[in-house]
Amino acid sequence: MIKRMRKGHLAGIAGLMLLLPVPAGAQDGATLLEENCSGCHMADDSGALSRISGQRKTPEGWLMTIVRMRLFHGMEIDPAVQSELVHYLADTQGLAPSETEGLRYVLEREPAHMEEVEAPLGEMCARCHSAARFKLQRRTPEEWALHIDFHVGQWPTLEYQALGRDREWLKLAREEVVPLLAERYPMETEAWNKWLEAQKPQATGRWVFATSLPEKGDAYGALEVTGDSQPYSVSGTLMTVDGEELTLEGKLNVYTGYEWRANLDIGGEKYRQILAISEDGSSLSGRQFVHAEDSLGGSFKAARAGGDPAIVGVVPSIVPAGSSAKVQIVGTGLGEVALSGALEVTGGEANAYGAVIDVAPAADTDGLVTIAAGDAATEDTLAVYSHIDSLKVEPAFAVARVGGGGGSAGKVPARFDAVGYWNGPDGQPGTEDDIRIGSVPATWSLAPFNEEAEHLKDTEYAGSMDETLGIFMPAVAGPNPERPFSTNNAGNLKVLATSGEATGEGQLIVTVQRWNDPPIR
Amino acid sequence: MRHLKPLNQKADRVVTAVETDKMDEVRAMQTVVVGCTSTLDPGWEVDPFGGVAALCQPMEADLYGCSDPCWWPAQVPDTINSYRDWNADADNAGKDWRSLGTVFPSDSET
Repeated sequence: MIKRMRKGHLAGIAGLMLLLPVPAGAQDGATLLEENCSGCHMADDSGALSRISGQRKTPEGWLMTIVRMRLFHGMEIDPAVQSELVHYLADTQGLAPSETEGLRYVLEREPAHMEEVEAPLGEMCARCHSAARFKLQRRTPEEWALHIDFHVGQWPTLEYQALGRDREWLKLAREEVVPLLAERYPMETEAWNKWLEAQKPQATGRWVFATSLPEKGDAYGALEVTGDSQPYSVSGTLMTVDGEELTLEGKLNVYTGYEWRANLDIGGEKYRQILAISEDGSSLSGRQFVHAEDSLGGSFKAARAGGDPAIVGVVPSIVPAGSSAKVQIVGTGLGEVALSGALEVTGGEANAYGAVIDVAPAADTDGLVTIAAGDAATEDTLAVYSHIDSLKVEPAFAVARVGGGGGSAGKVPARFDAVGYWNGPDGQPGTEDDIRIGSVPATWSLAPFNEEAEHLKDTEYAGSMDETLGIFMPAVAGPNPERPFSTNNAGNLKVLATSGEATGEGQLIVTVQRWNDPPIR
Repeated sequence: MRHLKPLNQKADRVVTAVETDKMDEVRAMQTVVVGCTSTLDPGWEVDPFGGVAALCQPMEADLYGCSDPCWWPAQVPDTINSYRDWNADADNAGKDWRSLGTVFPSDSET
């Protein structure tokens, strides 16, 4: 297998080298694999290394595999070689873009995503870790079987934990789960074969983006990717909704031809981007978050500057009635702007980030605005409001973790949005015809979720809520002698938002830290 | 439960839960955010009632009862196989919890 793959890879490189930058030394990836892995992994007659050749996965998946070899089996490897191998394996045995669809939340470290996992995979696999962790892998039937055997050998108590002891776990795993996984997540797929052959999109060039920063809100900007080899250099500018201009600088790795992983300094704070380049190379999408606190971040969308006309965002996305604002339409190829719906305005002017237009809605204006600019258009991304009928807290359920205090695990904060709604035609809040206005300014507070939380004074101990930002910062880790049983600073809290007359409520669990926190949870 | 007597305050609460039919609220799997375990014995992040008051707390008091038999290995490093020396410098988790390291190496990022 590996010889075939290697041949395919080298042939691919010959065709692709002019199209996309190949990581320095990737041509030597096969040699590195042999040098670093064949000591334990036997080669078959074709040269394919045992275990390795029967799997495909994301760059994070391969990184976790190599790290596991280090931690569990004492493998020693130079960090630079490890990085080369992750590139090589993700490029030659990765996942096609379509194979990661619907599962990117786990790569993006989306903090409040809830998985709905079907039986039997929910009980058999996803009771310990995310379902995306195995759904983002492709294996031969033999490899899926070995994967199960590895789990039983490595974590033998899984058979007598809850949802293990009430069934013949190993029998089920071998006879039902392995065939199911092999059928749903097979090694050989048309999608991957096509992607291997496809012309890969370019990361280099200029991109115009819209995002949001946890403390500074909606933002937009432009970044330039340069370099002949990885990691590429990234530089640019980010503008906040309040008009602050921040410098952006950092490094970018691209895996499998589309998996964008960048570490950036934005105005003195370290951020990380987990994005995907679209197959046609025209756009980027994913999540950007604070490097040290990955629960704090926002979606990130970008369009290739000079590409087909496109709008990726609008900043600000809400305008209070009776005020005036400059609205930045973020995108590329935008000409004169035409607003319709709740605002009827034409004009504006092009700038480096798309086009900007002045608006001054009358005091009683309420409604959504459709934006057309050049050949690009977007509906319902701008709202003008004089009142809010109801408020929803998003996410409605979140988990924060205590941390710090001299321990190795940092605090995991949680951030909430207060999303305003109009009632819609039925005049009732909380029904399907409600119209979403967007994230509105709110005042935030906490309350005990139930009697137990009140009794244990969770609001006093679990952490504090920023009244204007909606960011909850959990308390310190460790036993707290002030609490009953010296219990931790955990808590079960109501998250309350108020905007004018409207109020909204969510739930926040503040729980204990985790010491095992790999890139895919 | 007629022949069993609670020995401590927590056990007393279990008895109360049984007597007030609260045990019916125990569900096999909890719905929590991705990355949290849904296995409940009672659970790492949340308790069977969807809160945190019925977790084993402070968790440091029983932490090695979690790590030794790899009870929540995706959250707590297991010392049975994977990270045998994880708590080598922390004999008493209640006092030495600051010596327990996160296990995924910080030099490894994509």
